[in-house]
Amino acid sequence: MTASPARLTVNAVPVDLTPVPVDERLLDTVRWRLGLKGTKDGCRTGDCGACTVLIDGRSVLSCLTLTHEFAGASVTTVEGLEGDPTAARVRAAFEMEGALQCGYCTPGFVVALTSLLKELGAEASAEELTEDLGGNLCRCTGYTAIVRAVRRVHEEMP
Amino acid sequence: MATFSFVQPSTTDEALAALRLGEPGETMIVAGGTDVLFGLEGRRIPLKRVVSLRHLPWKTLSWAGESLRIGSTLPLRTLERDPDLRRRIPGLWQAVRAVGSVALRHRATLGGNLVRSSPASDLIPILLALDSEVDIIGMEGERSLPVDQFVRASRTTALGSGELIRSVAIPEARASAFLWQRVRPANDISQVGVAVAYSPSRKGWRIAVGGVVPRPVLLPQAERLLSGPFPGAAELRAAAQEASMRVPFATDRRATEEYRRQLVATLLQRAVRAAGSHPSSPGVP
Amino acid sequence: MTFTVRPDADAKLRGQVAFATDLSVPGMLWGALVPAPVARGRIRSIDLGPARAIDGAVAIGPADLARWLPSAIGDAERPVFPTDRIQYHSQPLAAVAAPTRELARRAARAVRVDVEPLPPIEEIEGFDPAHPGPDHPEVIAHVLARHGDLDAAFGSADFVLSETYRTAGVCQVALEPHACIAEIRGEVWHVTTSTQTPFGTREDLASMLGLPEERIVVEGTWVGGGFGGKGAPLVEPYALLLARASDRPVCLALSYREEFQLGRTSLPSIVRIESAVKGGRITGRRAHWRLDAGASLPGRDFTTGYAIGFILGPYRIPAIEMEGYAFRTNKPPLGPHRAPMAPQCVFAEESHMDHLAARLGVDPVAFRRSHVWKEGDRTHLGQKVGPFGLDRCLERAGALAATWRKDAAPNTGVAMGVGFWSTVTGAGGEARLVLSPTELKIIEGEREIGSGSVIRGIVAVAETVLGISRDRVRVDYHDTRSAPFDSGVFGSRTLAALGQAVQKAALVLRDELGKRLSVPADSVRLTEENGELVAVSGRHRALIRSLLTETELAAGGLTSEGRHYGTSGEIDTARIVEGTFYPYTDFTGAAHVAMVKVDPETGAVRVMRYAAFQDAGKIVDLPTAQGSIEGGVAMGLGTALTEETTWAEDGHLSNAGLLDYRIPTLGEIPPIEVHFEEGFSGAGPYGAKGLGEPPIIPVPATVGNAIFAASGAAMTEIPMTPERVARALKLL
Repeated sequence: MTASPARLTVNAVPVDLTPVPVDERLLDTVRWRLGLKGTKDGCRTGDCGACTVLIDGRSVLSCLTLTHEFAGASVTTVEGLEGDPTAARVRAAFEMEGALQCGYCTPGFVVALTSLLKELGAEASAEELTEDLGGNLCRCTGYTAIVRAVRRVHEEMP
Repeated sequence: MATFSFVQPSTTDEALAALRLGEPGETMIVAGGTDVLFGLEGRRIPLKRVVSLRHLPWKTLSWAGESLRIGSTLPLRTLERDPDLRRRIPGLWQAVRAVGSVALRHRATLGGNLVRSSPASDLIPILLALDSEVDIIGMEGERSLPVDQFVRASRTTALGSGELIRSVAIPEARASAFLWQRVRPANDISQVGVAVAYSPSRKGWRIAVGGVVPRPVLLPQAERLLSGPFPGAAELRAAAQEASMRVPFATDRRATEEYRRQLVATLLQRAVRAAGSHPSSPGVP
Repeated sequence: MTFTVRPDADAKLRGQVAFATDLSVPGMLWGALVPAPVARGRIRSIDLGPARAIDGAVAIGPADLARWLPSAIGDAERPVFPTDRIQYHSQPLAAVAAPTRELARRAARAVRVDVEPLPPIEEIEGFDPAHPGPDHPEVIAHVLARHGDLDAAFGSADFVLSETYRTAGVCQVALEPHACIAEIRGEVWHVTTSTQTPFGTREDLASMLGLPEERIVVEGTWVGGGFGGKGAPLVEPYALLLARASDRPVCLALSYREEFQLGRTSLPSIVRIESAVKGGRITGRRAHWRLDAGASLPGRDFTTGYAIGFILGPYRIPAIEMEGYAFRTNKPPLGPHRAPMAPQCVFAEESHMDHLAARLGVDPVAFRRSHVWKEGDRTHLGQKVGPFGLDRCLERAGALAATWRKDAAPNTGVAMGVGFWSTVTGAGGEARLVLSPTELKIIEGEREIGSGSVIRGIVAVAETVLGISRDRVRVDYHDTRSAPFDSGVFGSRTLAALGQAVQKAALVLRDELGKRLSVPADSVRLTEENGELVAVSGRHRALIRSLLTETELAAGGLTSEGRHYGTSGEIDTARIVEGTFYPYTDFTGAAHVAMVKVDPETGAVRVMRYAAFQDAGKIVDLPTAQGSIEGGVAMGLGTALTEETTWAEDGHLSNAGLLDYRIPTLGEIPPIEVHFEEGFSGAGPYGAKGLGEPPIIPVPATVGNAIFAASGAAMTEIPMTPERVARALKLL
């Protein structure tokens, strides 16, 4: 049996889960315990995508995740994507297409799209990528610039 | 504040043992965990324990000839990305894609969806139409139940206390389709979902409908009105009429009963046509 | 115009921008609100004892407020805490703070509230609005205006078309929930908050709390979307009072459920519109509007008296009558939602236009163009129309619609709708610029809310005047103590009104530089050299450093100020029978085209293509302008198709969450073409017109008209959900 308390790795830094209450959400652990505020606190019901983080490389909603569920796993937040070349391409495309306004949903989009590009790889079409981003809500841009940014990333994929 | 403990069994025996800890109702079992936060609020019995099934070796997917067995804790996204699923059981692929978002499907599981047993589930109708069986394991041993006998109502199933779903078995690949209607196409709850599948072994259609109280249902009377893999327009209309009259729909804030009847009649005809013309259909070379 | 990356883009993409929800200060407590358990009722008692018994918790209710700030309970319309009657479900009755968010929630739940429930008043139809009965909602605003011989118009008409339209309540749904941190610093009540209007918030807080404005300081943070929802205090008074009670900083952030329940959103309305037609022309038009105002109206009857101006359309009609009623119901107070109530009024009016054209058998574009206002015409209230590009937008949109119609597949329809807006340039503001040897600072109170109107719009104005490179201009945010006054980011006014203040301040700087260089001011440009700013005029070059005095250098640079306090147009008051109507200050037109596909068996609508032709005066920053139009159209598609607040019989909002309140997702938004029509100058810098609100206005009507074109189903209710379309198609 995997015993709790345990450890979690966040952005390659080990985190001791001993002081973490078992009903704490991963969203609150990264934001308030670790001070990683790039992960945004939106709906807290899994409906907006602003809190998207990677767990073992896959996008998940940190608001619907109990921190202890992923003891032993590796969590990457938007801050942990600083040196990631895929994320860098995503950021560049969003900049060039003006695919952000207020910026509240933006880190969630960066994390989700980076994850998708890695998960689907070269086989993905731009249409699949945009369809699979449907869980991330944006109220400012009307998505049109985001779709342009996805196409740009897709075209520039190595 | 820590009001409960977190248990993460890695073997079946450990898991079954963990279920027996404490009093009934004190333990919450978590598969993908996407519903767990909602379960934490408004409980009558204070929660003492969470048993996470994440470390069990049940994240499996195996084809054996025509049949498919899906581990209960396999993330839906992994199922959706199986290289054969879309081609061999298109209806199941469509239903899995209908669930939540990618980030949700990275965690949500078939087992969790079955135990949640939502009347609006997008997965239960297709599992019904595929004559799927739920493999259950408990301290008294193993048993297997058709999905039709497993789901009963919202959050109510045939699963006994101390039992877990280990896997779901789909007996054969079928030409199939799942069509749904929502107010908003993405990130919404389906008003109606219609799953159809043509069984080459039984030489007949299976039709199931979701968005129904108290649970998704099979429609044998409508199935019998369809004679072969390519039913004609008149047969389809008759089956659609039968289905729309038969289903126990209700009016709620997502749709009225009469709109659901209209939807099921339309979607049923479209689903059968879509399944029949899919490359996986027996009639398509 | 070259494309530029927004200066805030990189930090936002890296998650480095701190919003109000991200802030914390040492020793901070978390706040929580105690919600009313019913929508209407009398408060018997509120027992804060059980909450106060929780370790480290404080709790405050109406009694504390009365004790500390006796003059604070003046506004019966929008009390901080109600003392007697509950106005709407979940209305804050008390507030608590505790060391953790969880404890605060527990303390809020521990408060014992005893109320005598009463049946909520929700319905705004089914009675004579001039004489509502005891079980009907009270009239809180009534406006009526008339002009021309209406009886003659209707009496001699070839036909009269009379229609009733219904519109649902819609929410702003900025992704960032309301949040703030309050702190009492000696005599000063300080709040750091996500607001569109730091100065307006200060003024409102002063009146809500009964404190002089000097004792309140509002510090704006980055705003994670506003859309009108962050224009007035919501969480701030409670956080300040909790800070006062606990002597600690208090953070109060709404849950997303509360965001819906407490938000100052738009509410349902009913529009009855009828037109008299003779010889192919509209000779008379009457509109009657009923608005659900919830517990109260913002700014008295502003919404009614303003939005009703859109209800008759931008058309020449010789005889008109418009009448509006706002009713008090047991819903949260009405608030401004991007172009408050205009998309709703225009949905009725522009759908009605297409139905009239269909009845006449004429082309809807030609029908509109034969009636549309042009510069020099008089509005329904007798105001003279200024430069107005709507006819030109109509012409271009009509041509595009004709092209699209050639591609239209079965069950597909192409149609258009128009709308217009009046930028709120009358709301004034001041700008302060500081030119240092290395950069130009724009001192501002309000932070960027996302649209780019601050970080790009007003910056672009300074760039244009001074010829300075954009990376040498920085917006420097100050709190209300040291920032120059400005009305805020709302009403599409930021570029159009504050931009004028910035333009004036930049011109003052340029004049001063011209003087110091002894050259004509308009020949001065700023360039840079080795990191230093240089003033250039022909062959004259001088380092800014060399042009500043010692005193100026010590003060950080050369300061200049600009003020803009606009004037409104004049209306013919003889046409007003009752109430207050508001004149327009800028005439900003838009014509939209949609291609939609209607499923003839389910009523599901898919928008295939969309185009917006926007009368823009002058585009100051193209990517910002385009982003505003794209975002506005998408928001309008939500209003048109999926968004709707639903109220249960007991008066609670039954879809207070992002699953059941359905804003558009990525997959529903079609490609949106944006076309600007420049040349019909507005009052803004270089002739710019405000573009925040105009793009949302025509959308519901345009989509409804396209559904009509595709299927023959005349839509009279928004949102046009699949089931409503199915009913209009007579499938049910």
